[in-house]
Amino acid sequence: MSETMTADIADHPDARPAADERDRSNHKASSIEMQGLHKRFGRDTVALDGVDLNIRAGEFFTLLGPSGCGKTTLLRILAGLEEPDAGSLVVGGKDITEMPPHQRSVNTVFQSYALFPHLSVRENLAFGLKMRGMPAAKRHAKVDEIADFIKLGDLVDRHVDQLSGGQRQRIALARALICEPDVLLLDEPLSALDAGLRSQLQVELLRVQKRLGMTFVFVTHDQQEAMVMSDRIAVLNGGTIQQVGPPREVYERPVNAFVAHFMGHDNLYPISARQGDRLTTALGELTAEEAGDGELLLIRPETLDLLPGAVEGPNHLTATVTERLYRGSHAEFRLAIGDTTLQATVNNRGRHLPEVGETVTVAVAPEDLVTLSE
Amino acid sequence: MRKRTLARGLAGIWWVTLFFLYVPLFVIVLFSFNSANSTAVFENFSLVWYRRLFGNEQIIDAFGHSLVLAVSSSIVALVIGCLIGYGMYRHRHRKLGWLIVLIYLPIVLPDIVFGISEMAFFVQIHAWTGLLEPGLGTMIIAHVTFQIPFVALIVYSRFVGLDPTLFEAAKDLYASPVKRVVHFMVPTIKPALISAFFLSFTLSIDDFVISFFTAGPESATLPIYIWSAIKKGVTPEINAIATLMIGAVAIAAIFSMLFNRQGRR
Repeated sequence: MSETMTADIADHPDARPAADERDRSNHKASSIEMQGLHKRFGRDTVALDGVDLNIRAGEFFTLLGPSGCGKTTLLRILAGLEEPDAGSLVVGGKDITEMPPHQRSVNTVFQSYALFPHLSVRENLAFGLKMRGMPAAKRHAKVDEIADFIKLGDLVDRHVDQLSGGQRQRIALARALICEPDVLLLDEPLSALDAGLRSQLQVELLRVQKRLGMTFVFVTHDQQEAMVMSDRIAVLNGGTIQQVGPPREVYERPVNAFVAHFMGHDNLYPISARQGDRLTTALGELTAEEAGDGELLLIRPETLDLLPGAVEGPNHLTATVTERLYRGSHAEFRLAIGDTTLQATVNNRGRHLPEVGETVTVAVAPEDLVTLSE
Repeated sequence: MRKRTLARGLAGIWWVTLFFLYVPLFVIVLFSFNSANSTAVFENFSLVWYRRLFGNEQIIDAFGHSLVLAVSSSIVALVIGCLIGYGMYRHRHRKLGWLIVLIYLPIVLPDIVFGISEMAFFVQIHAWTGLLEPGLGTMIIAHVTFQIPFVALIVYSRFVGLDPTLFEAAKDLYASPVKRVVHFMVPTIKPALISAFFLSFTLSIDDFVISFFTAGPESATLPIYIWSAIKKGVTPEINAIATLMIGAVAIAAIFSMLFNRQGRR
């Protein structure tokens, strides 16, 4: 019932006492340093193949990659649920590589939420505090405080059976946050929810993190989600880190073909010849501002302009429209240049949108062209 | 038309089955309240046989033995079976097929073979060491061995039905190994434990063959008493004992079912 109503946690800053706010923003956030982490399962499955990664204190950091890339293994090593075969893990300046999970000041929001079925919501929330030996009265107050912070309302006195997916997600988040860990780990916490609720909870999660200033390590395979949420993203594949950077950098300047494909780019063309910044590909000749020395040219569909008819000019290519997908706010085009296809996205600003079969000129600015390695 | 005939035929089998299952029980219950010393003609309703029963010291003793045996063997079987069930769950990814067959063997082994072998074993041990004299002690050991597989199976299936990340959530939320047992595992499988206890209890109360071979001269249980009394003919007194046993076992079975269902919710 209260999913829409309670989603706007951080919307009302005056809903909570000021002292509380001070406490929370003063919470010490911890940095994470991972060095040379290796993990293999059985004889042949390499989950992590030498991961070096530093996560800053108070950062919303995302581990992004396809299934089997090692992101979940890395998260489980952070939680202590998996032991690395080699390498070290330092959190807040302290080496915790060998520390068992119940001694780590790290909490996890599990993909399946993992709420205890034999306990009420209140007992679920208080579980971590109880295990750390906090007296009952204090636990009770803490639960009320977190329930207020995450706007759980009357959910606290329900039974776990009676909760919807979104409510379970919120309880799982509160159960981890209530322990005030140095680092909060989130294992695809939104993947079981439908699209609407999911984007709502993305915003909610982001606000909670900014407000608490806690270090969040978030695992997802959804690049859109990663870009919306993260301060920085690490893209993983085959147990190694491909690229680390802020969302714009990873999306706009992917370092290799894997990252580019994973971030949703399809316009990648091998460079057959180059003269300085003039690059020759199957599309024709194009000039990049800073070509770099990559072997592939990346053209992002949204950087392209489509001009009607054939127009001569620098970085102009003549193409034929083979497909048009009208999406309201924008339209996606599939264009043919000789035997090569190129995708373009054009914002719908009420101008002419070319039809299938129409000849158009594709114009691209030199600063939007990026090269990358295989 | 033919389909309906078939359906009627199957329904007929159902009623015949129920008839043979429950009519004898009903007759026993009915005649336990008979005022006459007859198992053929019902005269008047009376509790005379129950009064007689509670005045018979042998029966009271046998009843006591049955109860002590059932309760203590069920408790021991619960503890051991629970550990085995958890172990089976914990190591379910390993190839433990043969080990599990070993644990389940007593279920399929004929009771009489099991009873005789236990007896022979206890006699040998007693002859060598002087320990394990036939009596309640040997009966408890024998009962525990056939109760364990049932307990282990119930506990195992409860654990398998749980989300495996719950175990990780408990670790993640600062529960040490001991606290995980006390605050997570035992409360989570509590319905299964209660169910397993009542099942063990009914199995023990029920058992005649294995008890018969492992009992000592002073440890006759109700079934053993009935067996020896019946050699002199079925008396309404026996009917009264049987009625009480039906009641006790039915109650335990109902509890077992209720708690098992609650656990699977």
